Amino acid sequence: MEKGHPQRGISVYSYQTLLGKTMTLEDCFLEMYDTGATCFELLTSYIEGYPNPSAKWVDNYWRMCEKYKLQPAELGHWAENHLHRGPGMSDEEMVEELKQDFRLANLLGFKSLRTKITCTNTLCDPEPGWQSYIEKALPYAEKYDVRMQNEVHLPTTLHTPHIRDEYLEFIHRTGTKHFGFNIDFGTFQTRSLPGMPNKWGLDDVSKPEEIVEFLPYSWSCHTKFLEVNENFEEVTIPYKEVIQLMVDNGWSGNLLSEFEGPCRYGAEDSPQKFAEAMDKIPEQVRRHQIMMRNLLGY
Amino acid sequence: MVEIYPIQQRGFHNTYDADGNIDGFEFRFIPKYYKGLWFTQCRFGNVTVDGEEFSRDELIFEYDGLEYSREEMFDLQKYWQFRTPLIFKVKKPGGLSIGYHDVALQFGWVLNYNGALEKEADGSGLGNMGHLFGNDYARRMLLCR
Repeated sequence: MEKGHPQRGISVYSYQTLLGKTMTLEDCFLEMYDTGATCFELLTSYIEGYPNPSAKWVDNYWRMCEKYKLQPAELGHWAENHLHRGPGMSDEEMVEELKQDFRLANLLGFKSLRTKITCTNTLCDPEPGWQSYIEKALPYAEKYDVRMQNEVHLPTTLHTPHIRDEYLEFIHRTGTKHFGFNIDFGTFQTRSLPGMPNKWGLDDVSKPEEIVEFLPYSWSCHTKFLEVNENFEEVTIPYKEVIQLMVDNGWSGNLLSEFEGPCRYGAEDSPQKFAEAMDKIPEQVRRHQIMMRNLLGY
Repeated sequence: MVEIYPIQQRGFHNTYDADGNIDGFEFRFIPKYYKGLWFTQCRFGNVTVDGEEFSRDELIFEYDGLEYSREEMFDLQKYWQFRTPLIFKVKKPGGLSIGYHDVALQFGWVLNYNGALEKEADGSGLGNMGHLFGNDYARRMLLCR
């Protein structure tokens, strides 16, 4: 099998603690350029004027993409069906909501989406009935050339039953090329980190080799990280093994650095904590990008 | 750009009626969440200043130059842009004294993940994200006018 050539990218989410407080969106682009990343993830919330950005904003966005040599990779969005009091939204309302984001992704050059489907517990079991509105949205995903991806995020693992029984079953039944998985590397986390809220425990995590089966249904993944040391090694997640499996199995999608380290928590509580976040976040992203460069060889 | 805290000191001042009398005070607030929210998802609680409670149903919210009640927010098809302050207007004849004040509020929202769906479908509660992000916000702020 020909080896894969993943793109090295960054999720703007990594800077969210600082965005709008000490960093503009253009500051984020400059930071990303500095790292040598070639693509990025944006969240719909970071689009000024969402869901209807001005032509001026869109023009400036493309100017920044060109200036900082960054390709749009993934747009993070939400399939929210409880936006109002009372019963959940109808399939028709859901499809309209999804179409709105598909159009926006198409306008802004994103080919993949991180689509957050409503779930009902911390394991992210999807609310029953999701297949109905997602299937109705598939023709529009095709039209706007976007791929919805469910995020596999700790405590969800690649062997959590709904991944196979619901999402994979849906992909096989419909034969769609427009629905798949963003596999967040946190699902492989084996070590905890001091200072991190221990929300989920690490007793049951994904094993690196589990990723292989899901690679054909994945276009962008969150390369989640909590701490990269001064030797440019992530200390909680078996990166080398997972990346090797992806490359050896011919995967050429987007790997998007996503920082969720402890300095983010409570950064709004005091000037001291915020200053630490200001200092650490960009440095951690830079370290992670150097690590990814070392692992990928480019 | 906004301040680092959810309750913003910038914009904290007394308000005046048409005759120039102080009729209350206002301040600004941003959620500490990493994304924006539709106002229909938001659940607003009471405001407390120096121990005096102001009912959520008497608050006036200003966004984009327009004023809304809490009840109107449930039908407001508008996206609360990330890092964009919402103005809380509180009626209080005579307003607040010049000096320091402990300002607190409750806020929550209904989101589709990491928790059970909202139990109080009439919106009487504070949403379903409090277990992860809390519902209580407070800040000591200095009022100058």
